[in-house]
Amino acid sequence: MNEERDDKLTAAARKLATHVQPQRDLWPDIELAITETAPRRSRWTPMFAQAAAVVLLIGASSGLTYLAVKDDRPVVISQPAPEYAFERAAFGSTYTLGSDYLDTRAEMVAQFERELDHLSPGERQDVEQSLEVIRGAINDINTALEQDPDNTLLQDLLMKTYHEELNVMRKVGGVTQSVMSRSDI
Amino acid sequence: MAAVLTAETSDNIRSMVSRTATAMPDESALIARARGGDTRAFEALYREHVDRVYGLCLRMTGNVSEAEDCAQEAFIQAWNKLSKFRGDSAFGTWMHRIAVNTVLGRIRKSKREQDRIQVVAEATPSPASIADNGELRDLSDAIDRLPEGARHVFVLSAVYGYSHEESSDMLGIAVGTSKAQLHRARRLLAQQLKEQGFEA
Repeated sequence: MNEERDDKLTAAARKLATHVQPQRDLWPDIELAITETAPRRSRWTPMFAQAAAVVLLIGASSGLTYLAVKDDRPVVISQPAPEYAFERAAFGSTYTLGSDYLDTRAEMVAQFERELDHLSPGERQDVEQSLEVIRGAINDINTALEQDPDNTLLQDLLMKTYHEELNVMRKVGGVTQSVMSRSDI
Repeated sequence: MAAVLTAETSDNIRSMVSRTATAMPDESALIARARGGDTRAFEALYREHVDRVYGLCLRMTGNVSEAEDCAQEAFIQAWNKLSKFRGDSAFGTWMHRIAVNTVLGRIRKSKREQDRIQVVAEATPSPASIADNGELRDLSDAIDRLPEGARHVFVLSAVYGYSHEESSDMLGIAVGTSKAQLHRARRLLAQQLKEQGFEA
């Protein structure tokens, strides 16, 4: 009895419409939502913000440490206005950068400048702001290294900051060259 | 007077349908393009699947406005999760899974489910029954009055033909619970329909 009832119900249920047209077109609202959350822009912002935040954090803490240790010496850190054009990479006044790194950097800069034209204005602004922060940090650390060339903390910090700069350029240019290591210098 | 298609008109229509089918890009190609950020390709996927997704949402919620919201949300979630679609199942099945999750998520978030049952009980015919004809409307109305758990299992298993394993997986319940809910749904439906003089 129950089986017969269930069979009838199941047969009737299978006849019910499974495709129902909405009374209004839902697409315009969906389109609005998915274009507002377009993945391209949101992909860059956190990445660069994260890189910039790391550099700022490391720079600030190391700078304070350096000043605390070297408070007996007058330190004047100039803050040149970051320029967008790339300048020659430096590593304090006593050390030179390795040829592998300089070659990689030159290649990346060339690729980076070509790729910049393909970015949207918003993405380009993100990249420029990130590089300004990183390049500002590089200038500060280089200035500090001139005062204290043997400070390994500053050397490591500069190393990491150059690394961040390369990472930004590599991500923009889609270049897959290996990043520099400590032994490149 | 009933319109009669001439043989020539029929052939023209068949030809148009054939051309349209040929021009419609392969679904996997649309998915790949949508994954790359092509909203036109995603719109094509939406047009292809919206009726089935909305139908499921309507059957599960029994409320036009809620079903529209659920279907919209399901497609937005699908857009955001497209990179995770591996093609292990058909895109339509994947969309159904997202729609079920969306409905369940909204029910969990709100207390409106109880209100919905009361509203639906007072409304005749129910929104879902608009799509059905004749005596099927009685069944459709009866499904809308089922308790939430029994309704969800009945819709997925009996209306859309998913197995207990598939239904339980989508709903996040045990297979045994799915079977028990289906049994309960059938008993309640038979009871309701008998009261209305419909012999199930």
